[in-house]
Amino acid sequence: MSKSVKGQEGGESLWGVAWRRLRKNPGAIFGMTVLIVMIVMAVAAPLITPFDPTTQILEYAVKPAGFRGSVLLKKNPSDEGHPSIVAVTTWEQRGDTVYYTDPAGQPYKVAVASLHGETKDDWHEQPLFLLGTDRFGRDMFSRLVYGMRVSLSVGLIAESIALSIGILLGSMAGYFRGWIDDVIMWLVNVVWSFPTILLVIAFSVILGKGYWQTFVAIGLSSWVDIARIVRGQFFSIREQEYVEATRALGFGSMRTIFRHMLPNAAGPIIVLSTAGFATAIIAEASLSFIGLGVQPPTPSWGQMIKDGYGYIALGTNWGMTVFPSIAMALAVLALNLFGDGLRDALDPKTTQR
Amino acid sequence: MATYLLRKVLYAILVLVGVIAVTFFIRPPGDPARVLLGQRADEASLRALREQLGLDKPLVVQMGYYMVNLAQGDMGRSIATGRSVKETIIERVPATALLACTSMAIATILGIVLGLIAAWKPNSWTDTLTMSMSLLGISLPAFVVGLLLVLLFGVMLEWFPNSGYVDRGAEYLILPMITLAIRPMAIIARVTRSSMLDVLGQDYVRTARAKGLNDFTVYTKHALRNALNPVVTTVSAWFAGLLAGTYFIEYIFSWPGVGLTAFNAIEKLDFPVIQGTVLLTAVVFVVVNVFADLLYAYIDPKVRLN
Repeated sequence: MSKSVKGQEGGESLWGVAWRRLRKNPGAIFGMTVLIVMIVMAVAAPLITPFDPTTQILEYAVKPAGFRGSVLLKKNPSDEGHPSIVAVTTWEQRGDTVYYTDPAGQPYKVAVASLHGETKDDWHEQPLFLLGTDRFGRDMFSRLVYGMRVSLSVGLIAESIALSIGILLGSMAGYFRGWIDDVIMWLVNVVWSFPTILLVIAFSVILGKGYWQTFVAIGLSSWVDIARIVRGQFFSIREQEYVEATRALGFGSMRTIFRHMLPNAAGPIIVLSTAGFATAIIAEASLSFIGLGVQPPTPSWGQMIKDGYGYIALGTNWGMTVFPSIAMALAVLALNLFGDGLRDALDPKTTQR
Repeated sequence: MATYLLRKVLYAILVLVGVIAVTFFIRPPGDPARVLLGQRADEASLRALREQLGLDKPLVVQMGYYMVNLAQGDMGRSIATGRSVKETIIERVPATALLACTSMAIATILGIVLGLIAAWKPNSWTDTLTMSMSLLGISLPAFVVGLLLVLLFGVMLEWFPNSGYVDRGAEYLILPMITLAIRPMAIIARVTRSSMLDVLGQDYVRTARAKGLNDFTVYTKHALRNALNPVVTTVSAWFAGLLAGTYFIEYIFSWPGVGLTAFNAIEKLDFPVIQGTVLLTAVVFVVVNVFADLLYAYIDPKVRLN
């Protein structure tokens, strides 16, 4: 049955029409491009970042964007792959010893043998801190890219949880109606009485701080809109002939709901999911801004913004707040533009706007 | 109208019972007595405190106590200060009410005006500009807007003070108020625009135009009133969101309201205070919604018959 739905008149599927419309919407294409770039950056984070996001160079704390450092790499006996980094102002090799001064002006010396690698190109680097450093001298750009991983995975996993709960409860309320609908709608109204971010905070307090707790807290808080939309869709879909036909054929409720009704409610659910994805990113940032949520040293945009907040009032190094803010705004804006485009593209009522 | 009202109120009470049940569970994982007394507390005093707080009873009984105490206006005591939660919160209400109400007023008025401007000529440059700005407003969480405004107007331009309360002067209200208003304003503008466009496409609007009424009269007298319903819903739904926003905004601007109390309580996991503030926000939301339903019924007679 579901196969025959694809072959509509003119030979173009609903998704084909949607894609054709989406392509003509510059906002949606911009949003999609930004999202794809962000996903690629998040996945390829170790390849494109110059530093590990937790590497501290305390001598380089709170440096502005575009700062270029000068560091010696020393062998790290406990971890071959990660040499220890020493900031230097001047350095000079005499024989098999390197003499250098640290940023405080103190002179030191070190044997070449204990430096990382063979030649001086191996153990001396002038790294560029594209977006500056934070108060522990950690590279802002690296932290921003790794923070993207956190934000995107929170969006993905939390939204999956919200979708599962929302679709299950919404379809049950819309399909069975009666007292089941009453009970589910009561629950929906109770949860709806709390602003999403407060509910996320409440669940975070209940579940404790941490990575997984954050996913679950956000997921448990944001299913209400999905449940409402699915219920509304099911109310109208239930009246259509093909649903009656499934009953006449003796199909079970679950088969009717998930195989036949749900695919026909997919459009609004997808649109709502992109909005939910954006809300989840904001919720995660808000949580880590309060100090709940993902815990240091794991980088997160909300934490970075809060760290920078202390420096704003001083009027120094505003980049610490502004760069993660821009990153978050860009991600949320991209999701909103893409979601708006999807809504217009999937809505059969919209003609070219 | 009376039965409609009664039904709404009874359902709101039913929802409130659920809300209270949810707030009851807001407490850190593990043993609350240990949270209160610290890791080094001995077993005897832990047991004594559990007994005193009723923590040794089954959860259902505890929830019963919680509801009975709430009914008597007792919200428990703060862990950090030992003061009554009710007093702690009530003395902070005026500051938050001032901030929230002025913000919502500005957001509503400017939001509707912007929405009307955008809907006046759809797809013109004014429409595109207003809608792009509002999309940007939706994409930034309130605390980020707050920090950026502090940076721009407080630190760089030095037009307004960074933080502090209005007892030092009215200019202290400006930045937090604008910060809190931006998101709801952006959403109200979008809802007003799409609702106006819907209504302007209706037959009776065409009739009004055909009668020879000028655009302005049609716009304000015929279309706007019918387009207001979704706007009322949005405003009432966003009021609670705005209250949640005060948790962050009051912290950023050191505004001594309920939100700042909540923020500090969350940092210390002072759960009785968190319960109190969350409950207050949810109750305000439920009450505002009942009023919105009434306003709804007043604006649109069709609702009453349903």
